[in-house]
Amino acid sequence: MSPITLPARCDRATVESLLPDFVAAVGTGALRIDASQVTHVGQALLQLLVSARRSIESVTIDASPALRDAAAVTGLTVELFEETRA
Amino acid sequence: MTPEEIQEIFFVECEESLAAAEGGLAACKAGTQDADTINAVFRAVHSIKGGAGAFGFAALQAYTHTFETLLSDVRDGLVELPPLVDLLLRALDTLSDHVNVARDGGAPPDDVMLLQELSAAQAANAGAAPAEPAPVQPDPAPVPAPAPAVAQAGDADEEDPDFGDAFDELDLDAMFGDMAAAAPAPEAEAEAEAEPEAETSFHVHLRPHAGAMLNGGEPLLLLREIVGLGGECVMCDVSKLPPLDTLDPCQGYLGWSFRLPGGVSQDAVREIFDFVGDDCSLIFGEAAEMPPPMISAPAQAIPAPAFAPAPAPAPVPVAVAAPAPVAPVAAAPQSAPAPAAVAPAAGAPATAAAAAAAVAAGNGGQSIRIDLAKLDRLIDSVGELVIAQAMMAQRLSNEGVTANEELTLLETLTRDIQESAMSIRAQPIGTVFSRVPRILRELASSTGKHVRLELIGEATELDKTVIERLGEPLTHLIRNAVDHGIEPAEERLAAGKQADGTLTLSAEHRSGRILIKIADDGKGIDRTRVFAKAVEKGLLSPDAQLSPEEIDNLIFAPGFSTAASITSVSGRGVGMDVVRQNVKDLGGRITIESEEGKGTTFTLTLPLTLAISDGMIVSVANESMVVPLAHVVECLRPKAGELQGLGQRSMFNMRGRFIPVISVRDVIGASGPSRESDNGVLIVVDTESAGQAALLVDDICDQRQFVIKSLDTHFRAVDGVAGATILGNGQVALILDVDGLVGGAMGEPERQAA
Repeated sequence: MSPITLPARCDRATVESLLPDFVAAVGTGALRIDASQVTHVGQALLQLLVSARRSIESVTIDASPALRDAAAVTGLTVELFEETRA
Repeated sequence: MTPEEIQEIFFVECEESLAAAEGGLAACKAGTQDADTINAVFRAVHSIKGGAGAFGFAALQAYTHTFETLLSDVRDGLVELPPLVDLLLRALDTLSDHVNVARDGGAPPDDVMLLQELSAAQAANAGAAPAEPAPVQPDPAPVPAPAPAVAQAGDADEEDPDFGDAFDELDLDAMFGDMAAAAPAPEAEAEAEAEPEAETSFHVHLRPHAGAMLNGGEPLLLLREIVGLGGECVMCDVSKLPPLDTLDPCQGYLGWSFRLPGGVSQDAVREIFDFVGDDCSLIFGEAAEMPPPMISAPAQAIPAPAFAPAPAPAPVPVAVAAPAPVAPVAAAPQSAPAPAAVAPAAGAPATAAAAAAAVAAGNGGQSIRIDLAKLDRLIDSVGELVIAQAMMAQRLSNEGVTANEELTLLETLTRDIQESAMSIRAQPIGTVFSRVPRILRELASSTGKHVRLELIGEATELDKTVIERLGEPLTHLIRNAVDHGIEPAEERLAAGKQADGTLTLSAEHRSGRILIKIADDGKGIDRTRVFAKAVEKGLLSPDAQLSPEEIDNLIFAPGFSTAASITSVSGRGVGMDVVRQNVKDLGGRITIESEEGKGTTFTLTLPLTLAISDGMIVSVANESMVVPLAHVVECLRPKAGELQGLGQRSMFNMRGRFIPVISVRDVIGASGPSRESDNGVLIVVDTESAGQAALLVDDICDQRQFVIKSLDTHFRAVDGVAGATILGNGQVALILDVDGLVGGAMGEPERQAA
């Protein structure tokens, strides 16, 4: 499964357009998400990523500083980035 | 629309808001304000603040915030206006600088002192809670609801610095009705529970719903504001988040618990969420349960209001952990009915006032915002239409069809369309004039000369391009008038004048052109001094005989700096020669009238538009050329003996005065048989740099409007040619640059003596 690359601006509309790719990845085992370019993070993106982490066996996110910061603000660092989820 | 485009609109609106605020404060200064004047200023500043927040211009937003708070106090009658007008004006100048910095980058203006002054002037002097936008007054103001409501509306706009697709919100005025509806109730509650906040930290649980993410709203930004208050996320509830295949990106599934330090009031937290209202559930208290998500569509959300018009029975039991009594949560759905009822009452006056202000400002009609490029395409097409119409008329007349009724009709319609298209581009010159008070204020502080401004004909309309390019020369002329023209107060009193100088700016239409006059009542041009300076600079020989007008015109000579010689204040890097060049580039002319001791008047004569102009079509060596009518003084057919050779140049005796004759044929280097000069026609033209001259052409064919096509963009700049146009017969005709042509033909040395 090739990684899903997220654009810089991840608002709700972006998430809507990305969702089919994520859904298609369900059941493929492992998913890599390249979020290194992300500069704008919205709640919709966080929901998508958390849901993906919970729906797909192994999801690795290459996070940009902006995404890491957003995760820290929202208390989702563990949920999104830890290998073994709480 | 891209965020950049929206941002561009924001800055356009900033300009408009600044102009409106300037106008309002000017009225305050003049003492002609009414109840709505300061309100209009407040709205203007507030719009800028809202947009600044939305686009993430933090410095601008912070500054407008303080400014706005003071304005709000003024509006509510909590502080007296008159002593504050000057402070407000200075604050507005700095606001304008802030806007420029936000747009163009650069170092933000130093506003520390000003902000302190503004804060000090505030009524309650907010004190402990600097974060609060409108300080909650201890005693409720007569009409408490609308004021804080509107102020908070602005804060709510701040929620979205990043997400560009949200900016339908930028129409702030339209929003205020809603805002006023949403805010009063929580505000009232906030006042009701004005008991001291606990010193201990407290918890808030919040869950943004789908609505909070609509229209580009972004809950994360609200969370960041909580963090900004010192909040810390203790828990993110992801339990309601469905698996991917049933995930709906439009819904809000996440809930958060934040711990806030004791110093922060719950109101401060509520304020953050006022704007999203029902779209984010908010519950205080550590032990309180996380509010449930409202995943379902509005259909199921609607029953909620039925719960209770009374605020007490909240759907979620609120466990009070903190000592402070927890008021029913502002954003919870059940509180909706109450504010809704308040809405018409609170919203209506504001809306009505806004409408009244709009009408008062002359913007009563409906308007739309158009991309200038689209408009330019329209103007271009209309220009082509004018040409096509002329071509058809010519063709028909060649075929012997004349005086055709339909053709006349077409001609009328074409002209109508052309005029309408031009009028779309037209803007009142007031937009340029509105910047003048600021210039005068700055000059007053730097030179100590206080100048009264009189504006005449602000509504005069002219082409937007002309307006845009008029700013710089006008600014320079005004600086010049104050700096060099108007005397210091003592000198004025000694001369029997009022201590304050008067600067009169007027604009009027005159025969298809616009006249702009900048008149001061100062000491006039010191001709002896100017003459001496010119001799010193080597521009003139000491024995040259010049008329007073010619001496006045010397100040336009390049390198002639009155600034350096007379005072030290100017030196802005734009000389009068640049001013003249600017005006000339606009197809206009500048003239001076000056009377010693009485003052100086600069008159700018400008075309109404840069696209279409009047001209005389002449033929030279079988080529058609256009002489812009603005330059033409008169045309005559010389009789034998009236042309006399003087060295290499032939001169024309015009009623006892000799003016140089320039053969256009020679200048353009036309080949072909040369006509006898007494066989041609002389066009006497007025030029900026070289006085009068006579252009010798073969014949005058026509006088008509022509559409100016730039030669630079289609070919390259050519000396002596200002542009080109397409004639009715499809032929391209060059438009002569009369100034350049005459100046070039006569050469520099003679120019000075002319």
